[in-house]
Amino acid sequence: MAISLKESIQVGLSDFWSRKIRSLVTVLGIVLGTMSVIVVLAMVNGINKQTLSWMMERGGLAKITVHRNWEYDGDGNERDYFTLKELFHIRELLPEAEYFNPSMGDWGRINFQDKFIWNRVQGVVPDYQYIEEWTADQGRFISGFDIDQNNDVIVIGSKVKEELFANNDPLGEYITFKNRRLKIVGIMKHRYLKNSFNVGNENSLDYLNRRSFIPISTMINKISGKDNVRSLALKARSAEEAPALAHKLENILLNIRHGENVFNIESAQEEAQEIEKNARTFRMVFFLISIISLLVAGIVIINIMLATIQERTREIGIRLAVGARRFDLFIQFLVQTILVTFIGGVIGVGAGFSVLNIVSKYLEFQLIAYPGMIIAAIGVSVGVGFLSGIIPAIKAANLNPVTALRYE
Amino acid sequence: METVIRFENLTKEYNMGKVSVKALRGVTSDIKAGEFVAIMGPSGSGKSTLMHILGCLDSASDGRYWLEDQEISKLKKAKLASIRNNKIGFVFQTFNLLPHLNIRRNVELPLMYSGMNASRRRTLAEKVLTDVGLDDRMKHKPSELSGGQRQRVAIARALVNNPTIILADEPTGNLDTNSGNDILSIFSELNNLGHTIIIVTHDSAVSERADRSIKIIDGLIVE
Repeated sequence: MAISLKESIQVGLSDFWSRKIRSLVTVLGIVLGTMSVIVVLAMVNGINKQTLSWMMERGGLAKITVHRNWEYDGDGNERDYFTLKELFHIRELLPEAEYFNPSMGDWGRINFQDKFIWNRVQGVVPDYQYIEEWTADQGRFISGFDIDQNNDVIVIGSKVKEELFANNDPLGEYITFKNRRLKIVGIMKHRYLKNSFNVGNENSLDYLNRRSFIPISTMINKISGKDNVRSLALKARSAEEAPALAHKLENILLNIRHGENVFNIESAQEEAQEIEKNARTFRMVFFLISIISLLVAGIVIINIMLATIQERTREIGIRLAVGARRFDLFIQFLVQTILVTFIGGVIGVGAGFSVLNIVSKYLEFQLIAYPGMIIAAIGVSVGVGFLSGIIPAIKAANLNPVTALRYE
Repeated sequence: METVIRFENLTKEYNMGKVSVKALRGVTSDIKAGEFVAIMGPSGSGKSTLMHILGCLDSASDGRYWLEDQEISKLKKAKLASIRNNKIGFVFQTFNLLPHLNIRRNVELPLMYSGMNASRRRTLAEKVLTDVGLDDRMKHKPSELSGGQRQRVAIARALVNNPTIILADEPTGNLDTNSGNDILSIFSELNNLGHTIIIVTHDSAVSERADRSIKIIDGLIVE
């Protein structure tokens, strides 16, 4: 003699339905908790994927960048920079690097006829386009010949073209930068990162569209007049080889600066691993916070269920009188609490996905939810239901039939 | 006739803080199968306490109780639940129907706890409700019925498991005279069909319908 699980679920559903308002109030905490689990985890996943996409757009995981180490207390002398000669020497020591691009930037006005824009002009070598996986859309990029000859040529970004030339063809035109006439030989492809966090109306890659490129030799010899290169980018043959290449480069740089940590080396692959590690930590922290909020919801459920049992004391007495065992009542009330939290979990998951839809639509930001998150969210809800259902279920099961039947 | 209920020296003592109250002070009697017995007595006499013990809802502080030769006083709670489910049908003064269930599902309740499948439960409940004249009210909620009809639902629920005894606690106490008479007629009819009926009452009109009365005063059987 026993009430089956199916029967308990049916009784639970019937009770849930016959006390709609109370049931909805009971599940509210679980709905909000589950919803926050889904939204927060999807956001962390989205941010993680977004960052990785951004890194992929900026040359991929095989890329290594070198900048001045701002923590190094240098005095601004030549040791804080690379010379071109040093860089050629480093290049020879790193045959395993597929591409190698020293770069040197400068800010200034680019003038064309009566128009001008403030722009960052970057002195680079042809390898830049392979490291960044970004090349000219019209015309050509900086060539080895341009480097050798210190040519006065410039490749402009799409935003530069738009602002200075509107719909006119800029190829072959001359602009001036730092009093030097530079011939436009190419226009870079427009960069756009899908599903990015936009800043105002700007895409997160628009800053690249505002850049222009000239031969590094022209930058050093004709514009800045200083042989001090601040940054360097390399590309390993694969993402897997990048950390070893970065390590070798670090040793070379320490050698040429006599053990002083003048430069900072960043490997995209290592950064990606770090990002993934951080994302895991974030996921865990947010998941724990969400679980705490669900446990708070569980305490509310315990309270409501205890009140419900108080209110249903006579019903419990009737059930005992017609032959319910204490275990039947324990299971009935436990299943009912679990059912309430399960329904809350399902509503919460639905609400979470609705929020994700809205957020994705308005923020143009991709939020990523996996099936595992749904299972985890509902699983935790059911777990909370189980834990918060035990005390009320024990109370229901231990009621004295005579006292329960006399309860007013 | 075979003895269906036998109890010897049953006592029941309630401890209320420092005060202890003796509701039963050692009662002994037996009831034969097919008898219609009224347990009579004024309020607070101990008759309801005796009914609760006979119905396995409560246990005696001392003494022994046999139902169909099975000694009840030594049984565990789960076994007592099984006896309440299989051998005893309760009818209460306040009907004690579940308000959120329709009357068919109220009647199905004991069958549900006996593990019977839903379709057989439904068939049995409908049959018993038809027997008590409520075949057109199956889907109604208790609140949609009159007092007399609700008590007939309670009788149907008590009968549905074909119990050995039917225990009724003041079954006409909340009914008008006509409805009360209808209910008593149903009990008489059931008794004629062979059911053992035990009614707890302080109403002498009810006891007149019974084969015999057990009168309790101050926790003792006086006649």
